[in-house]
Amino acid sequence: MKKILNILAGLLIVSSFTACQPEFSNPIGDSTYTSGDADFSNYVAVGNSLTAGYTNGTLYKSGQENSFPSLLSNQMQLAGGGDFTQPYLDDDTNDVGGMVFSGTPILQPKLIIDASQGGPERINKTPTMDVSNIHPGPYNNMGVPGAKIFHLVANGYGNIANLASQQANPYFVRMASAPDKSIIEDAVAKNPTFFTLWIGNNDVLWYATSGGTGVDQNSAGNVDPTTYGPDDITNVNVFGAIYQQLLDALTANGAKGVVATIPDVASVPFFTTIPYNPIPLSDQTQVDALNAAYTQYNAGLQAALQNNLITQDEADARTINFDLGANALVIEDEYLTDLSALGLPSIRQATANDLVVLPAMSVIGVAPDPNNPQLVNGITIPLEDKWILSKDEITEVRTATAGFNQIIQSIAAAKNLPVADMGALMEDMKNGLVVEDGSIYTANYFDGTNLDNLLFGLDGVHPTPRGYAVIANKFIDVIKRAYGANLPKVVPANYPTFDILPAN
Amino acid sequence: MVLVFLSFGSIYAGGYRVALQGQRMIGMAHTGLSVFNNAETAFFNPAGISFLDKKFNFSIGVSGIMSHIKFQNTDYNWAYETDNPLGTPFYLYATYQATDKVGLGLAVYTPFGSSTVWHQWAGSDIVNEISMKVFYVQPSLSYKFSDMFSISASLIMAYGGVSYNKNINRYLTGDNGEKTNAQLDSGITGAAGYDFALAFRPTKNLNFGINYRSSVTLDAKYGKATFNNVPAFLSNTLKTTAFSAKLPMPAELGVGMSFKPMDKLLVAIDYNYTYWSIYKELRIDFKNGLPPSIAHKNYHNTSTFRVGAEYQFNDKMFVRAGYYFDESPVTEGYFSPETPSTDTNNFTFGFGYQMHKWAVDFSLLYLKGKERTDYTFVRGEGPSAHKFGGTYVGNAIIPGIGISYSIK
Repeated sequence: MKKILNILAGLLIVSSFTACQPEFSNPIGDSTYTSGDADFSNYVAVGNSLTAGYTNGTLYKSGQENSFPSLLSNQMQLAGGGDFTQPYLDDDTNDVGGMVFSGTPILQPKLIIDASQGGPERINKTPTMDVSNIHPGPYNNMGVPGAKIFHLVANGYGNIANLASQQANPYFVRMASAPDKSIIEDAVAKNPTFFTLWIGNNDVLWYATSGGTGVDQNSAGNVDPTTYGPDDITNVNVFGAIYQQLLDALTANGAKGVVATIPDVASVPFFTTIPYNPIPLSDQTQVDALNAAYTQYNAGLQAALQNNLITQDEADARTINFDLGANALVIEDEYLTDLSALGLPSIRQATANDLVVLPAMSVIGVAPDPNNPQLVNGITIPLEDKWILSKDEITEVRTATAGFNQIIQSIAAAKNLPVADMGALMEDMKNGLVVEDGSIYTANYFDGTNLDNLLFGLDGVHPTPRGYAVIANKFIDVIKRAYGANLPKVVPANYPTFDILPAN
Repeated sequence: MVLVFLSFGSIYAGGYRVALQGQRMIGMAHTGLSVFNNAETAFFNPAGISFLDKKFNFSIGVSGIMSHIKFQNTDYNWAYETDNPLGTPFYLYATYQATDKVGLGLAVYTPFGSSTVWHQWAGSDIVNEISMKVFYVQPSLSYKFSDMFSISASLIMAYGGVSYNKNINRYLTGDNGEKTNAQLDSGITGAAGYDFALAFRPTKNLNFGINYRSSVTLDAKYGKATFNNVPAFLSNTLKTTAFSAKLPMPAELGVGMSFKPMDKLLVAIDYNYTYWSIYKELRIDFKNGLPPSIAHKNYHNTSTFRVGAEYQFNDKMFVRAGYYFDESPVTEGYFSPETPSTDTNNFTFGFGYQMHKWAVDFSLLYLKGKERTDYTFVRGEGPSAHKFGGTYVGNAIIPGIGISYSIK
């Protein structure tokens, strides 16, 4: 029996000896991830809403936690990266974003899907963040929602006293290290060893999302941004001068980084979700009635043509005609020849070259006058300019975007900084793409079939946290290639999109 | 029922086959197709019952599986390891020499099982926890044509079930922020199979054996699926429902020989061929209209080579050792973490002590898995569909103890 016990003890000793954990031939360890030629010890992200983590129509706490710089910094921390601070959002107690100023809501809370209604709407909760709840930075994430390029160098953009005159930004007010510091001064004060700079989107986007109601300051030749309205296109020369200034400041102490390009206007679902011809007609009497309603206008065009007031092309483009099937919206277009002297409005039917903005969804097909159901928006009432980015406005936006991107490319090249082509990436994100793990994301924005497939959020402009994960991976690709670093990717599917509530 | 308290463990090698069916034979690399000297032959080769020199033979034993599996993927900085519970496969054998020619056997054993637990990890949409328990009850009849040759036929009554927990996908969370997961419990279900065997003993020192154990498919028709952390907007979709699933247990063919190169030394060599190709997919059909969950498996048939030896020190003490190579049935591109089976090298040791009618046997199996980098494709819509993979490495240490009793 003693022998048996000895053997048993022997076996147990062998067991404990060999029961050690299995080991990989090449386990992940301290040297797996490297920074290459870069130094991630103090990463500062400079930009606008896309850098801040703004999604679903606002900046809210869990959205900020999944901002692309935050995701990127997590990966950098495996290769010498340090702490990454983001602006204070702990007062967003309901995780809904929005903003109040002295008790009055000034920014709306996040968009959600109300399953009982189907479409996106603002969540029925009150914002708790107050502009006056100031937590001075500087922070590592210097993304400020709404910032245009000239705002980055604007002193007073963070001064609460300037809010009333719209010369300050409520987000920057809360995070500025001092009321009259500029965003770039705060970013530089953070003393970055590595930075990302993604700026310029709002310099064209706001014009576009407003349906082109602002001024193109390129055709206006206006290089004084202090005179710009919020929906104007920034002058390319202004952009170039400030971009140079920004990169000079960020690289002054030898910091390395990545800059990013600006996507084309048509690469966000905001402009591509509603087709130009969303009016189906299946009843000939209805078609005839609608055509009858425009007989007088069409006849007026012919008169104008005979008097050489407009060209044949314009007369054709303006002639309004309905048929069975899908019909184009009737829209206002300020670029048409002014024929108001003849009593003719500047209207035409939209074409595939026009883009309809997402919020028009709630307007098109609506009869605003309950006593006159014949008057319907987009059909018998021309859609206002603000709902349509017309082809001429698109050209202005595209020309400016191309100009900005050329500046970004050339200054980056001179500074030996790599460029992340976010313009191309966001186009892919809208059209559909396959990410590293084979997951497929598609462009069926708002068709309701598979909300999980989307990378853009409910505002139609900003990616969801899942989309920001794709963006973080793009930055990682560029950093790996340019600096010989090795960083792991994130998995987009692990990140959320937007809330779906049974009722709101 | 005792089953509730037992987990049959996952030994990480050949699929969910748990080859631990006799403490003496484990010591000799789990050979045994041609070793006819104790009740363990009721499992390894029931035709050998007629060659046993004692009238009654009983064996009972249990092993303790301590397995560890590690997973990593440098593309995403994933590093996880399993937290598998102790597996305790057991067996119970009895043989009876009814007449000079006719032998009867009864074997109760646990040939299949798996128990894998991953916590809060990257592959949670494939598996959080899985536990499969299958046991066979196998009565046998053997008939000896001559002192050189016998055959047997056996009926297999298989019982078993599976409990499986996985997240719905990689992103869905409940309103509490926790990931939405499905808990699937098949309940215990039964099915029948058979076994034919042949034993050939041309000389006292040279034995041959062949055994064929049929496949058995457990058809779980009354499984229950429950869903946890369901967001409110899906509360009418992800409701508790019944499900059905088929769990195939592959057939196995074995051919073995044993010989005594010297008086006190017994050497056994076995070859097992396992018909794993029966495991094409794991399909779960829900009764409430949810789309079926289908995981393609595409297992392929495998070979296992075993060589073991027993040395008799004196009339009481035996020492044993063995080695076998176990091939993974998992086809490249279908490597899934619920049964992360790689090729393994297996080293076995054993010690037996004989006291009159009683014998006690100890075994120790050290299983060393080969590192394998592979992936599986997870089916689903949109971002649910994706490749999941990385590098897996594992090992297991499995001590065991058995007691035998024989009457002349």
